Amino acid sequence: MAATEDTVYFDGNPCVVLDSVRMSYTVVSTADVPADKSPIRHRLFKRTLGRDNKVRVDALNELSLIVERGESVGIIGRNGSGKSTLMKLISGQELATSGAVYASSTPIMLGVNAALVPDLSGDQNVILGCLAMGMERALIDEKFDSIVELSGLEKSIHLPMKSYSSGMGSRLRFAIAAAVDPEILLVDEALNTGDAQFIDRSRKRMDELRRNAGCVFLVSHSLSTIEEMCTRVLWIDQGDLIMDSEPQEATAAYKDYTDHLSKGNNITAAKIKDDARSRLTITEILPRTQGRRIGVQL
Amino acid sequence: MLVETASMPAPAGVQAVSVDLRRLSRVGSRPAFLDYLVQLWDFREFIFYDARARVRSGTRRDRLGSAWLLLNPVFNGLTYYIIFGILLQTSGGIENYIGYLVTGIFVFQFSAGAITSVARSIQANRTMIQAFNFPRAALPIGANLREELSGVPLIIAMLLIVVVLPPAEFIGPLWLLVIPALLLMSIFNLGVGLTLARVISRVNDVSHLLPFVIRLWMYGSAIFYSYERFIKHPALLEIIKLNPLFNVIDIVRDCVLYNRIPEWHSWAALAVFALGSLIVGLVFFWQGEENYGRD
Repeated sequence: MAATEDTVYFDGNPCVVLDSVRMSYTVVSTADVPADKSPIRHRLFKRTLGRDNKVRVDALNELSLIVERGESVGIIGRNGSGKSTLMKLISGQELATSGAVYASSTPIMLGVNAALVPDLSGDQNVILGCLAMGMERALIDEKFDSIVELSGLEKSIHLPMKSYSSGMGSRLRFAIAAAVDPEILLVDEALNTGDAQFIDRSRKRMDELRRNAGCVFLVSHSLSTIEEMCTRVLWIDQGDLIMDSEPQEATAAYKDYTDHLSKGNNITAAKIKDDARSRLTITEILPRTQGRRIGVQL
Repeated sequence: MLVETASMPAPAGVQAVSVDLRRLSRVGSRPAFLDYLVQLWDFREFIFYDARARVRSGTRRDRLGSAWLLLNPVFNGLTYYIIFGILLQTSGGIENYIGYLVTGIFVFQFSAGAITSVARSIQANRTMIQAFNFPRAALPIGANLREELSGVPLIIAMLLIVVVLPPAEFIGPLWLLVIPALLLMSIFNLGVGLTLARVISRVNDVSHLLPFVIRLWMYGSAIFYSYERFIKHPALLEIIKLNPLFNVIDIVRDCVLYNRIPEWHSWAALAVFALGSLIVGLVFFWQGEENYGRD
């Protein structure tokens, strides 16, 4: 690795700072352990306790990042590259295995995975969800009609949520999450699963939110959306940051990479990725929590 | 698919950046204890709404609806009456045995139900926790409030049964003392429930043990017998009588059945247990704040 350059003092207006964030999960694998040489009674013991075959999965390798107010950050990468993990870490849904995420206010994730209470009706869930986001009751009553309208549920809003189809449920969840105007907005574009009418409505609301937000993180598989909406793009692959640059440059490199992959030119694709990675400059965060600058430490 | 090699080229360089983090706060971090209490207060509307909405939806699936809130302890009481009152004759020396049994079972069910539902509130609402950032203690407090709300008809039914069934008791001013006693018990339930909620969120296995512990506690709380009949050792009797649930039941029986002012040490024991468990429960729960709803 290249030698550390001189410390830069960041004097901008940071909205989100990721300091050496890393995420790994321990999961149970169904793959056979090749040679479990432990005595049979130990194996039986393990099996009754359900403790066989734990595997560590590194979802995101160490990553540091500073995002300023006014930036729109697009995140691209193949499936399983760590995009969603990164979003969950920033929104606080998951806690990093090591490192920390700092933010100027509570980030709000706009997605379809905000599950609610299945026994309650749609309208009760709207109120409960909004209260859980810290909205005032008066404000909720004021916005209630527009939330229901965005969800497109009409009369079904009074039925229990467990009677909803998955599409209805995710529409309602989106409508609830979109009710607040957050400073830090995270958008997972996987939500574009509804019918054409809903996609249109949700896109309008998302544009509104994006304009009002201080900074935006956007995950999308549509490179044109990313180019259109973002001022900065991160390319992540298998948990590693590959590129952090202007939208055009990053999307062009990524498109090149995926084109070669789909044609089966794995070596060329790998070379493109390695080239991009070897040109990357990694950020290292030196927190300045005191009035003094902690530049050099002995 | 591309078979990835482990080697990833080293990046061009590392740029050390000094950032002022003073105006930022760590995402998902646990606030100081007092700030946490203030946050909970800010979320009071969420707590009330959560409790109210779920009381109504709780028994919607059953044909008899909310009647089960009442029928459940009535059937329970009947079962225990047949077994302990008629078959085993543990009623020896107890005045108004039916009243004694009914007050014991209703109050105990109220408490056991609240502790169980508070203890499970975190596991039961994991999706909610993952979706929104709110102080997690709002869920157990909401669950406790829900149990209190659905406990009101239960307690009224208990008093009605005591009035109607022979030997009929008369309503007196002492009956009002039932309210503070049950409130103290509710605080105790919340404290115990908060502690268990954190334990269960880490080790779910404990939720399987909970019903057994609660049953053991029930058999040990003098619901269908009196301590005096079985325990002859005076010091042991005093220790066993510290049981907070026994104290609540004892206070309720004194007020409702026997028309005598409950002894001060029953109140003292109950109050100490209630406040002690609330403080321990809140602090213990708050310490785990960052880890609820995660795998």
